[in-house]
Amino acid sequence: MLDLLAQTGLNAVYAASYISLVAVGLVLIFGVMGVVNFAHGELFMVGAYAVVALYADLQVPFFVAVAAGLIFVGCLGLVMERALFRPLRDNPLGGLVASIGFLMILQSLAVLGFGVRMEHIPPVTQEVLSLGDKVRLPVARLYVIVAAIVLLSSLWYFLKRTRFGWALRASAQDPEAAMLQGISINQTARIAMFIGAGLAGVAGALTAPLVSVNPHMGHSVIVTAFIVIIVGGVGSLEGAIVASVAYAFVHTFVTTFYDGVLADIVGLSLMLIVLIVKPTGLFGSADRA
Amino acid sequence: MPKYIVWMVLLVALLLLPHGLSFSQQEILVFLTINVLVVASYRLLTLTGEWSLGHVVIMGVGAYASALFSKKLGIYVPVTMLLGGITAALVAVILSFPLFRMKGFYFLIGSFAASEIIRLLWKRFRDPFGGAKGIKGIDPMPDFSIGIYDFDFFEPVSYYYFSGFIVAICLWILWRIEKSPVGLTFHAVHWQDKLAEASGVNLRAYRTLAFAIASGFAGIAGALLAHYIGTINPNSFDVEVMVFVLTWAIVGGTATFYGPILGCIVLTVLNEIVLRELGFEQMRPLIYGAVMILSILFLPNGLESLVQKFSQRRADGLAPNKASKGAAE
Amino acid sequence: MTHFLEVRDLTMRFGGLVAVDRLSFTVEHGTIHGLIGPNGAGKTTTFNMISGFYKPTEGAVLLRGEDISGLKMHEVARRGVVRTFQHSTLFAELTVLENALVGTHMPFRPNIFAAIVGWDKEDRRGAQARAMEALEFFNLDGLAQEIAGDLSHGHQRALGMAVAFASHPDVILLDEPFTGMNPEETRQMMGLMRRLRDDGITILIVEHDMQAIMGLCDTITCMSFGKFLAEGGPREIRNHPAVIEAYLGGARHVA
Repeated sequence: MLDLLAQTGLNAVYAASYISLVAVGLVLIFGVMGVVNFAHGELFMVGAYAVVALYADLQVPFFVAVAAGLIFVGCLGLVMERALFRPLRDNPLGGLVASIGFLMILQSLAVLGFGVRMEHIPPVTQEVLSLGDKVRLPVARLYVIVAAIVLLSSLWYFLKRTRFGWALRASAQDPEAAMLQGISINQTARIAMFIGAGLAGVAGALTAPLVSVNPHMGHSVIVTAFIVIIVGGVGSLEGAIVASVAYAFVHTFVTTFYDGVLADIVGLSLMLIVLIVKPTGLFGSADRA
Repeated sequence: MPKYIVWMVLLVALLLLPHGLSFSQQEILVFLTINVLVVASYRLLTLTGEWSLGHVVIMGVGAYASALFSKKLGIYVPVTMLLGGITAALVAVILSFPLFRMKGFYFLIGSFAASEIIRLLWKRFRDPFGGAKGIKGIDPMPDFSIGIYDFDFFEPVSYYYFSGFIVAICLWILWRIEKSPVGLTFHAVHWQDKLAEASGVNLRAYRTLAFAIASGFAGIAGALLAHYIGTINPNSFDVEVMVFVLTWAIVGGTATFYGPILGCIVLTVLNEIVLRELGFEQMRPLIYGAVMILSILFLPNGLESLVQKFSQRRADGLAPNKASKGAAE
Repeated sequence: MTHFLEVRDLTMRFGGLVAVDRLSFTVEHGTIHGLIGPNGAGKTTTFNMISGFYKPTEGAVLLRGEDISGLKMHEVARRGVVRTFQHSTLFAELTVLENALVGTHMPFRPNIFAAIVGWDKEDRRGAQARAMEALEFFNLDGLAQEIAGDLSHGHQRALGMAVAFASHPDVILLDEPFTGMNPEETRQMMGLMRRLRDDGITILIVEHDMQAIMGLCDTITCMSFGKFLAEGGPREIRNHPAVIEAYLGGARHVA
């Protein structure tokens, strides 16, 4: 029993890692641009397909493929910013609808390019770390955990210690005041979109060998990300990370000991309860909606 | 009475319409008729200013309720459709307690969470909802005859006439509501909720009323769908269907009664008839997505704004003194 | 004895800040009552507590002896106390007539079933007549079909009052009604308010500018820093040393 608990805990840490990468990106985009990016799950999906194309089909080394996925999806984010969110800056509902349109385009391109079938990618490594008697951690999962820690700490450093990061936080808090300070809204929006999308892409790329890649995989990712950012507080990066960990644990444990559908119901109910009791989230104070 | 003539011509055209179509196009016509009701009822909800992502699941509540009432309790099918609508409205009233503590973006997300929970409950509980496979073999509408026409519900044409009749009644009621003092109060709640409240309007009651009515008609639409296709499952009402409804409303525009209906018809014709016939089967979602983006970028007020511009120009042409006023604005 | 409208020990705290501190005064039926004070005196907070926009921390608002504090705004309105808003809060997208029709919501409560079947013709006609009556009273009947958002500022303020008047109120609460009006519009509006009072409607005006309402009010209550300062007729208040001190002190404070 103790082994099962430890194993489930470890699985939860892995889940928390990629969920927080996706959710932090979503929060960053919402915070800086005030737009709900419904296509965020599809950016995750595109990251996964980058690995399918480069690593599985073209035999490029795995980590090169992951880096390429990050940059490619980040650039997709730049395209979205320029083509969709900038012209619709004064129309939040419009931005949301446009992102739904973009979601359908990405999904449909994935179907056209790769087919609807699930892609199974040759494992990056078969190595498994044994912790104790029965507790195992596949090294491929370890990669995801380490990557999340490294990326999120560098993001934290970037936001708190660099000028760009300062500008980004300033425009997330008060766009008008930021503009008066000489911060370019377009530039901060570009940076936020590149980072936000890139994080979703890298999460998809890293987990690609561990899940079945398909054009519709973005759906459950975006639902999870929404739950996490609501529970954590819209606009709070720290909240998103804490909520990712909390949600991953609850979801993994309920899935292991009961079933997956119930775990989804529990997750959504948590979100609904937070919305009822404290709509700004458990950690949030900023309210831009 | 030229207005009556226009309506008569429209009625005859709608009655003749299916006879020029192929079998599969007739089926699409039935779905289109039902979807017109879905999107028109959705507009009633948006009148009070709230956008929900749960409308399709609420429609599903009507479908499940009507299917179960007929299957488990053996109630006569047209009656179950009405009961399905009532059930959907009641579920909306229950949901309104948590949801109307939220506004705007939070309401949108909250409605999504609440409706996903309902959908997952259908999935989880095999009894009575049938789990992921849903409900199969739903009783069809019983055949009947009205003398001049025999309804045989294996024929899409018959079901088109039947659902068209029901939908027409529902649209008429929705129209009457919108043009009544109640409809004016919905507008008031949307545009200046504080001023409306100061005029004695119970905001919560009116928001709930709009939500319940919209949901009731969505439920009837769901019931119409269920008894036509005969099998429903949780995925028939997932968020992707909701996205379509949202798109119809936004592409059509929600400032007028006909805007969302126009959006639904134009996009369905584009999607089902044009793209399918031209052999773009695989690329349909892609083109659909592109149409969504283009219309929100270049036609933010929807197709209805084109219609208004056109009819404005015609009116201006007839009355030159008004044209100068239009130019001044 | 029960007063018509009584504010008793009304207190509002926002966190540590006491915006209104144990304020008490009474408004007699059929009078125009002014509530004045320098900026930050807590007038608008008091106004919002009477109208049900805020729930007071302590104290009570009594209407004919009934405690209405803490009721929601629409419940207060249904008891006959109707407010207007600062600035031009209107249904800008609707026509002038439709604005006034929203005001008739209370006397002609819409009924959805009657509306669908068409059994509410009588009510609709009544509401229409009442709305036109309200517009005529404020000389807006010629503009009935205009979009409210397109009206001039003075007309918008008048429409705000017409919406309130359409509901057959016992008390109208006016929040700085003369802001943005030119002297001629102000003079006309004052005449209309006197006519309202003569019709038996009690009026409570919150105003920052003391001079503006001197000639209009029957009784004036002055408050400063959230507390009751003085009460009396216009002449009394104009010469009241504490009031003069408060306004001068306030002016110095602002400068």
